[in-house]
Amino acid sequence: MTCDSASKLIPLYFYGELDPDEEDRLEEHLHNCVECTHSLDRQRTLASALDRRQVEAPQFLLEDCRADLMAAIQGGAPHADRSAKGPWTLFLEAIGSTFAGLNQLRQPVGAVALVALGFVAARFIGGSPAPVASGAPSDEVFATVRDVKPDNAGRVQIAYDETRRRTVTGSMSDQGIQKLLLAAAREENPAVRVESVGLLQRQAGSGEVRDALINAVAHDANVGVRLRALEGLKDMTADPEVRKTLAHVLLADDNPAVRMQVVDLLVAHRDDAMVGVLQNAVQREDNTSVRLKVEKALKDMNASIGTF
Amino acid sequence: MAQDAAGAVGARLNPQVDSLIRAAQRGDQDAFEQLVRAYDQSVLRIAMNLLRSPEDARDVYQEAFLRVYRNLNAFRFDCSFHTWLYRIVTNICLDQLRKRKVRKEESSVVETSDGAIDRMDTFEEEAAESDPERSLWNRQLKQKIEGALLDLTPRERMVFELRHYQGLRLRNIGEMLGTTEEAAKNCLFRATQKMRSVLGDFV
Repeated sequence: MTCDSASKLIPLYFYGELDPDEEDRLEEHLHNCVECTHSLDRQRTLASALDRRQVEAPQFLLEDCRADLMAAIQGGAPHADRSAKGPWTLFLEAIGSTFAGLNQLRQPVGAVALVALGFVAARFIGGSPAPVASGAPSDEVFATVRDVKPDNAGRVQIAYDETRRRTVTGSMSDQGIQKLLLAAAREENPAVRVESVGLLQRQAGSGEVRDALINAVAHDANVGVRLRALEGLKDMTADPEVRKTLAHVLLADDNPAVRMQVVDLLVAHRDDAMVGVLQNAVQREDNTSVRLKVEKALKDMNASIGTF
Repeated sequence: MAQDAAGAVGARLNPQVDSLIRAAQRGDQDAFEQLVRAYDQSVLRIAMNLLRSPEDARDVYQEAFLRVYRNLNAFRFDCSFHTWLYRIVTNICLDQLRKRKVRKEESSVVETSDGAIDRMDTFEEEAAESDPERSLWNRQLKQKIEGALLDLTPRERMVFELRHYQGLRLRNIGEMLGTTEEAAKNCLFRATQKMRSVLGDFV
């Protein structure tokens, strides 16, 4: 074996990818060749230098990905494991992550820890006899302590903000319920938005509901909420306002699953005015599946794919 | 390192996974979730290592498993689920790498007044280096490595990632990338040669 052919086999030898015959021949050559042995050493040094570059995905990134995926698939029911997590679990996880050496992500993790702490504190106060709800038994009071001051008489003065939780039950046709749902569609918690948009889409008759769905499709940060809202717009694809939003979303949304569904909705109602939008999308689309879908839609409309 | 079902690389028959797939094909959401959990750690790891960006890795994760979800009924058990899934993941990652090459984006490496730094450094567990000379050498080596990896074609980068970091056999890699074992071998050879020539005195 020449040094030239040995050098071609060294990387494969290192990775254990040679067949036994080749391996034997190379080893024999290495035994007699200082230069090729040195080359194998360099291969090992390279590999160990590269080993140090490997990164592990942090657990909470994985959990976030899982929650996003399940929200997208189910149209948004909160992830089972997530909802089962109590404040202590959240808090301990956050503390655990903070000490995991993830400097870059320490800030948001710290924020979670603070929220968890606040929530834990709130639960303690909520269970204490002081701020008792005087209304219906379904009310629950949460408090956040703002200030603690001992006074001269050996007592303590505590200042806290109080948030009252109230539960209302009613039919979907009830105006009060609908108003709350419309407000919930703009809540900070994505799980609440998903659930309320999901319920609103079944009531898609009124203009207010339509506007809430349009707003969610165009502006909601959570992909599960956007997909749910799109479902709600399914029977309104003839509405010019809805079509305008869909056209905008097709070009602007960063999630391919959303864009796929938008194409479905756009082609559900034949409208030649959409040809330009679809042609524009073909030019800009970087996801193969979405592009193929748009191209197919244009073909079905007997329109050319490019604007030329 | 955490192991998941993807650790059983190349195993065409995995009765537990097969029954999860069949249940998920019948519309069982729990089975689908279990299937995801069996493989998603390694999917995210590949994406993080290749793209060096948690945001991009997240997108790859989402798109890959949504594709799996939509196309699971088309899976006919003529290759292992692992191979099928990785084919999807590698396609998405290759698309991303190609796009970056076209846009000449430099993944996570950013220029600062202190020189080039890798945003992902904070993800790596590194022992504090007390020797400043050694630390400088390490930093320079790191920069060189980033440069060397950027020099690879997306396909070479992918083969190298799957062989070196994920420990997959070249035969499986060829199957995933829709090419032969021989072509995967050539890719790996080219990748290591390029890196060795860029790294020069460092290795």
